[in-house]
Amino acid sequence: MRYWTGGGIAIILALLQAASIEQFKVLGVAPNLMLVLLVSWLVVRGLDDVLPMLFVAGVTLGLVGSQTPGLVLLALLPIAGLGVVRELHVVHSDALLVLALVLAASVAYELVLLASVMASGGVLDVATAFTHAVLPAAIVNLALTPPVYLVMRFAKPAGPRRRLAY
Amino acid sequence: MTARTLAWTGFIAIAAFVLMAASRLTLLDPVENLTLNVTAPVQTAMRDATRPIADWVNNFTDARALSDENKSLRDENERLTNELARAREAQVQAQNAQDLDAVRRQFPNDTFLSASVVSRDASNLRSLVAIDRGSADGVKEGMIVVTEGRSLVGTVSKVYDGYSWIMLITDPKSAVSAIVQESRAQGVVAGNYDGALNMEFVGQGAAVKQGDFVITSGVGGGYPPGIVIGRVANIGKTEQDLFQRVQVDYLASLTKLDHVLVLTSFEPNRLPKP
Repeated sequence: MRYWTGGGIAIILALLQAASIEQFKVLGVAPNLMLVLLVSWLVVRGLDDVLPMLFVAGVTLGLVGSQTPGLVLLALLPIAGLGVVRELHVVHSDALLVLALVLAASVAYELVLLASVMASGGVLDVATAFTHAVLPAAIVNLALTPPVYLVMRFAKPAGPRRRLAY
Repeated sequence: MTARTLAWTGFIAIAAFVLMAASRLTLLDPVENLTLNVTAPVQTAMRDATRPIADWVNNFTDARALSDENKSLRDENERLTNELARAREAQVQAQNAQDLDAVRRQFPNDTFLSASVVSRDASNLRSLVAIDRGSADGVKEGMIVVTEGRSLVGTVSKVYDGYSWIMLITDPKSAVSAIVQESRAQGVVAGNYDGALNMEFVGQGAAVKQGDFVITSGVGGGYPPGIVIGRVANIGKTEQDLFQRVQVDYLASLTKLDHVLVLTSFEPNRLPKP
């Protein structure tokens, strides 16, 4: 994918996340469509394609959102580490892989933000934060993953080495 | 992992820390103001476009009508409850001329600045909204924000030229000195990660009942006294605890804020440490 196309999609994603997604609250939390799309794209296309998008999306969301610019980028960075898991082919089913990566990326994302809130003087109630924000967010993102992944998968089929498996 | 991937990962990590440092030094404020300026209409259009879908998802059936009716009932309820609270407060205050004078001194002429909510925090851990008024309109950090029904919404936490971020009272970093109107029991109303409001440090002996009004106390100088926060929803106390656990239902419709008022006539005057 050309950089400008990926960058454009990433900006729209970040704006959509900031403007609209918080309206869709399930279990008291809003899904992170941007994260789910980035992880799905990672599984379908690999790290090389997703990292520039991750950069643009993270910077944009940092600038339009209330978080410190750079913090969202840092919270999205574990996706790069998770990309290594994909390269190792530990899990042979892409469908299972994307679910596992979304779960891990969601927890990592929320934990980075939680650490930031606590470091800057927020409530130190980790248990409540985990049960009311981190865990529900991971579950909601997980539920959103299958449709998003299927759209990604069929929008841009992977190469012959990586097949859709169940 | 290829060299290109490693380079990108390193670049992103460095960029994250550089951006955080630049933001800390307020170097990015003009960029953030410009970005909000450019994207605010787009965000408003996106939110308006997706609101019916969100209503449908949230309510499943008869989404818009239910949502609108609910909002109008909440607004009406908020207005009436505020009137009742103000009437009760006036009654209580009238019994104490000294307090009344203090309040009058603090509110010589209330002036409000109307603002529209243009953005919301996208994370699940914070409760903040952005409004379309900034330092150019006279907004300053620490100013109080209320609804059109005069219920407490939060405080201005970050100001740009044309925009400001408001930290809602449900934010985990928010703490408001408050009293229970009927018993005058003092405490601190604090937000939490679950979006609930808790009134902390209420002594075991304080007579607090479900349905009592909770208002700002003015202690500490961060908030003017007498602004309605909400009503006592639940009280939990055991003999082992030093304080009661008081849960407060906030009065303002914080999840569906469209317009708010910034109380520009009040500037926080936090007391210096002794």
